[in-house]
Amino acid sequence: MNQARTQTQVKHRTGFSIEGSRATCVGDWQAEALHDVEKQLSRVDWPAGAIQFDLGGITSLDTVGAWLLHRTMTDLDAGGRQLSLLNINEQHQMLLDLVEGRSDSTDTPPKPYVPGLLESIGRHTESQLLQYLEFLAFIGKLALVSVQLFLRPWRLRWGLVAKELQSAGVNALPIVGLLAFLIGIVIAYQGGIVLRDYGANIYVADIVGLSMVRELAPLITAIIVAGRTGSAYTAQIGTMMVTEEVDALRSIGVAPLEVLVVPKVIALIIALPLLTVFADVMGLFGGMIMAGSMLDLNASTFISRLTEAISMNSYLSGVGKAPVFAAIIAAVGCFQGFRVYGSAESVGRQTTISVVQSIFLVIIVDAAFSVAFSKLGI
Amino acid sequence: MTDQILQAHELVMKFGQKCVLNRISMWLERGEILAIVGGSGSGKSTLMRQLALLLTPTSGSIELFGQQVLKLSEFRTLPLRRRMGVMFQNGALFGDLTVLENISMPLREHTSLSQETIEQIAMLKLALAGLEPEAAALFPSQLSGGMRKRAAVARGIAMDPEILFLDEPSSGLDPISADAMDDLVLHLKNTLGLTIVLVTHDMDSLCRVADRIILLADARIAAEGTLQEVVASSHAAARQFFHGRRGRAVGVTYDQ
Repeated sequence: MNQARTQTQVKHRTGFSIEGSRATCVGDWQAEALHDVEKQLSRVDWPAGAIQFDLGGITSLDTVGAWLLHRTMTDLDAGGRQLSLLNINEQHQMLLDLVEGRSDSTDTPPKPYVPGLLESIGRHTESQLLQYLEFLAFIGKLALVSVQLFLRPWRLRWGLVAKELQSAGVNALPIVGLLAFLIGIVIAYQGGIVLRDYGANIYVADIVGLSMVRELAPLITAIIVAGRTGSAYTAQIGTMMVTEEVDALRSIGVAPLEVLVVPKVIALIIALPLLTVFADVMGLFGGMIMAGSMLDLNASTFISRLTEAISMNSYLSGVGKAPVFAAIIAAVGCFQGFRVYGSAESVGRQTTISVVQSIFLVIIVDAAFSVAFSKLGI
Repeated sequence: MTDQILQAHELVMKFGQKCVLNRISMWLERGEILAIVGGSGSGKSTLMRQLALLLTPTSGSIELFGQQVLKLSEFRTLPLRRRMGVMFQNGALFGDLTVLENISMPLREHTSLSQETIEQIAMLKLALAGLEPEAAALFPSQLSGGMRKRAAVARGIAMDPEILFLDEPSSGLDPISADAMDDLVLHLKNTLGLTIVLVTHDMDSLCRVADRIILLADARIAAEGTLQEVVASSHAAARQFFHGRRGRAVGVTYDQ
């Protein structure tokens, strides 16, 4: 209380003090300056009986200040004390009245419902299962539309397919090429270190060739394309969902699947194997460069060894996976796009989900292929 | 003497070659409701965004609360921004926060009051903006258009600003909600003593709430003054704007 009294002596300093039955408020009672007063008010040892609030020293009052005063006085009033206001000006009275008039709404702010742990797990499980069902339904519808279009290929939007081929295929060449080239170099380097010790330099072609052609080129290409094109599909369709363009298509009598999804799926199924072949070439080229500089293996030796190392089966098993990856990436990308709901924020969320899910599925399917090939002895 | 809390001098805004505002000079008096009107693309939103310090004009000067704001650094304008509230056209409520959290946010950022007090004050502003207490726990995506605008107003007045900017407060609302929005604007002016800048093309709002009107046309101020003065203006754009079929709301007949 002593501290409070010294505060009152400084003019315009926001403060509050109590002396006998007289409570004096001074200074700017505005939101930014009131935290000390708030703490003080909650600690004050109020005298019994009547209390006069002297507001004459208040230089400015806003709703926060008025609310603090009102709350304090309501509490005191409930405690059975007689209250009176001194030196109050008209504007401050208006604010106090305003605050009082709305005070019944402030009792207990409703909180959004937060589910418990068990309920969260249950809800999450349910939504995941539903999502898989929806995905299956989406695949089913897509298959139906594809069959219809296959029977009537003139209805297919070839212009759109070409456009998607350009953006998903041609425009992806530089990044796919560069990354495959670098991976070829890395593999040749890592393999070369070991092979050099054994004097088996020539087999670097086997290591680079088989690992690139069978596994790395299809996988790396699929991952790049999932991040680059799958996300773009989700964002494009998602944005169209938010702006009601998808509904507009429906209302015009055009099936969104036919215009938005089928051309993308077809384009990607064509583009991804081609990109994979390109990645094969660039990866082997990278390996060849590294073999030349590190192991003194010249190009013609490297290439002639490659022809022995890579069988037709190896090559086809690598490229053959690409259309499957492409179908997964395009289907997941479009499916997540259609799941966008409400605001633009949801577009970002679904795009992330789309990339993660398609990469996840691509790797799972790749593992399944490996198991199948090993059983078949390919 | 009138108390001018905002003065703009020769504001020019160019987007590339296109001149959106051409040497606009205007002022704002404490406690008035100023409406900026004009056709679509007449630069009224641009002007409001400049006055609210959200857009820097190509040239010109703005004096706000007695300070030349365009010369201040971004950091130095922060205290001035706290004295202004803005309601954006679509609310611009933060989508991952509830209505209550949206309204609490300015208080949480700028004061060190207790959580309890902040929530009580946020509920108070919610009630002032005419929303039911139940709306506090909802997320913006669960609100109707009118509720979203009210929630945005509640956030705009959270810090008891001196100037409140309202961008199209009644657009996209049904006539009843639009009327209620006008009531709210008048109510805020009368109870909190706010100075309000209103961008609108709603004729009914204009005649009900505006103390003074600025009509923009062709990047310039075509007419300025009270409703009667602007309606009586002989400027071609003013005649077109107020004497069209929709001008009936302001009591002007079509063939006048």
